[in-house]
Amino acid sequence: MKRIGLLAGSVACVAALALTGCTADTEAATEGGGFADVTLVDALPAATQPVDEVTWAIVEGEPATLNPASSANLIIPNLCDNLLTLQPDFSIEPGVATSAEFVDPVTFVITLRDDVTFWDGTPVTAEDVVFSLRQSMNPLSQWYGAFALVVPDAEAGIVATGPHEVTVNFVAPDSTFRDALAGQGSAVMQKAFGEAVGDAVGTPDGGLMCTGPYKLEDGGWVPGSEITTTANEDYWGGAPLVDTLTYTFVSDGSTLATALTQGEIDGAINVSPASRAVFEGDGAGTLVVGPSTASYSFGPVSATSAAANPSIRQALSLAIDRQQYLDTVVNGLGYVQKTIVPEFSFQSMDGASIYQAGYDALEAPEVDIETAKQLVEESGEDLSTPLVIAVPAGSTEFQQTAAIIQSAGAQIGLDIEIDAMQASDFGALFYDPSYREGIDFVATQGYLETPGVLGYPSLFLLPAELGGVFNWSGYANAEVTAHMQAARTATDAETAANEFVAAQEIFAPDMLQVTLAGTYQLTYLNSDLTGVTTSIAAYSSPWALHLGGE
Amino acid sequence: MIRTLLGRLGGLLLTLLLASIVIFSALLLTGDPIAALAGGAKPNPELIAQIRAEYNLDDPIWSRYWEWLTGALQGDFGRSFVYKTDVMTLVAPRFAVTLQLVLLTVAIILIFGVGSGVLAAIRGGAVDRTVTVLTALGMALPTFVVAILLIWIFAKTLGWFPVFGEGEGFWDRLWHLILPAVSLAVLFNAYISRVTRSSLVAQLHSEHVDTARVRGIPRARIFGAHVFRNASPQILAIAGTTIAGLFAASAIAEVAFGIGGIGSLLVQAAARADLPVVQIVSLILVTIFVVLNAIADLISLLIDPSSVAGGSTA
Repeated sequence: MKRIGLLAGSVACVAALALTGCTADTEAATEGGGFADVTLVDALPAATQPVDEVTWAIVEGEPATLNPASSANLIIPNLCDNLLTLQPDFSIEPGVATSAEFVDPVTFVITLRDDVTFWDGTPVTAEDVVFSLRQSMNPLSQWYGAFALVVPDAEAGIVATGPHEVTVNFVAPDSTFRDALAGQGSAVMQKAFGEAVGDAVGTPDGGLMCTGPYKLEDGGWVPGSEITTTANEDYWGGAPLVDTLTYTFVSDGSTLATALTQGEIDGAINVSPASRAVFEGDGAGTLVVGPSTASYSFGPVSATSAAANPSIRQALSLAIDRQQYLDTVVNGLGYVQKTIVPEFSFQSMDGASIYQAGYDALEAPEVDIETAKQLVEESGEDLSTPLVIAVPAGSTEFQQTAAIIQSAGAQIGLDIEIDAMQASDFGALFYDPSYREGIDFVATQGYLETPGVLGYPSLFLLPAELGGVFNWSGYANAEVTAHMQAARTATDAETAANEFVAAQEIFAPDMLQVTLAGTYQLTYLNSDLTGVTTSIAAYSSPWALHLGGE
Repeated sequence: MIRTLLGRLGGLLLTLLLASIVIFSALLLTGDPIAALAGGAKPNPELIAQIRAEYNLDDPIWSRYWEWLTGALQGDFGRSFVYKTDVMTLVAPRFAVTLQLVLLTVAIILIFGVGSGVLAAIRGGAVDRTVTVLTALGMALPTFVVAILLIWIFAKTLGWFPVFGEGEGFWDRLWHLILPAVSLAVLFNAYISRVTRSSLVAQLHSEHVDTARVRGIPRARIFGAHVFRNASPQILAIAGTTIAGLFAASAIAEVAFGIGGIGSLLVQAAARADLPVVQIVSLILVTIFVVLNAIADLISLLIDPSSVAGGSTA
């Protein structure tokens, strides 16, 4: 599942990077060329000391719901466990399920631990898991795409086949299903609670009943103010060291930077790269740079505009200096990414070497103004009216992104106009065609919260009925579709990888999304604390489970 | 007098009714609430249809207004699109925080704004010139700039005050609200100070004050019974709009200092197209504005019935 996310912007500054105190799994990031000094850390060493209270800032603002079936945010993973646990390095380990495997091409068996209880002490049964998976299979859930190949009648598709065993029946093999179970589509909720509370599950009034390391109790969510969660002493994975974890909502970048460096807020995930200098200066904590699947890109919004012509997108791509983009927009905290699917999303998957070879074989973006001009001339498009690019208003990163695309266009004879849209209108653009009228391109930042290479590109290049919900340019390549479908229904990892690479070879040059830069996961944490997950895996796993004093 | 009061009250209610119509219709014409209502889910046609039916989005606007107004008169202001809870539970605690912030700011303005105006008028000379320079500076500094300066000096460098949140309990709350209140007060202080000074100076040079002085009435008594009394309607009229303006301006200080008040709520709700919240907060702000003006008007009327005889209602 791909999410369109927005980052809060603030003052732009540049300073040398000085990371200290981070000793967990590291790897050097050299893709960006000039930023080899960035050390990536996917998790801080587990804490050893108990802490009474930690205040955590959520930069995306207050969530609308904590229901794992209908929303993704950084609070839910600490409350509700998934069947499989995503590790900070993006590998998958058992979770509430001890095993989850295809026993034949169309039968998937999930075996559950027998010692997991909900916050109220009742044990997790196969019935609870069936209930939870059926929630996610519902078309109203944002995870239903993961269940696309499950027998459509949920009653027959997902069944309890033992007190601790659930069987999922498929109409065709699905190479992506197991990976998806490491995400929130498999979040375990209590059936009795869900049926009693109904639609109010996950709201401030309705509450939740899950198995995670932190509990949301009655009155824990004060709407518009904060969400207070408390340690689940009986957690099956061991009780967390932080007694009370309180979430507060700060979307203003400079307010957040000040509160964090003054120690009034203990930590935040997804802090703005624009505040890099502040975070790296004297302050209460440390900026940790972690691997991510997030990237900035822009793509076509209309089938009739010149933007739908791959030559125009290729030309724009050739006119954009990626290094300049990295320096300006993410303050050096990013890297050049060749295509829509970033390396971190497949590096722990079976068949990783095939995916890597496929990625390496792709052309790296380069600046070539002459070729770009030629592409524009040969495109045959009518370019007398400006092309309009939509960006969310009030975000420094997107303002800069749009300005860079605009000036790149100007160099090659493309007149580009910027439409900074209010947040609610920008959100509506993604499902209401009337908001896309008069717009040619849209710039976004997206990420993948679980391993997998098919989900993200499928949204843009498959026909709508096969899941291409953002395929607004009407892209249709039978060969690509065939390879993508073959990759999804492959029964072994090697075939899946080869099929995907074959599809990528064709669709990557068409740039259904012009990838501008891959970005890192930026976490700021008080120096007295340690133990958080600092990679993008934080979106799908209990990142605060090992949080506590150093 | 009673007739005047009733007339004012009628005008006030009419103003509020008109304001509610304008707020309700203007907000419905802008933006699409579906994104807010869908609450993060990727809305498909079924969900959109379900939401439209549940919130009567397809009904004509006048019937929705009528439903909203009758609900509001019975204390039901609707449910937040985003939080799915009663908007009053969302607005009430936020309003309390903003009210405390505004009261603290008003206290600062009364002491320093009115105080410096009075001082400048009575003392004149160097004091007057100093106040004039300072108020010119105060009027030139936007609230957010003052907020950044205060955070920089008193919170980050000196570490005397917190930079974030509204605090809990009386003293902690007060401590958290001081910098935001000061940042809000600077501009309004300057404004009030100037108005106070010029109204007092005008009175000091008026004939009846000269006459009183010639008759040998003590200075303090002249000032209390004539100068201040006669100048107060103008000062009060300005104070009314100033305090009302503080409720709206508080959004800037609330966002800068991460305070969960009504202003920051309005900013967030507007960004997320949470219409019921935007409607109620806008209506509260308009009501405060209208009511405070009316109160200032009435007090002026009590002090000096001739001063506002032909005045407007709002």
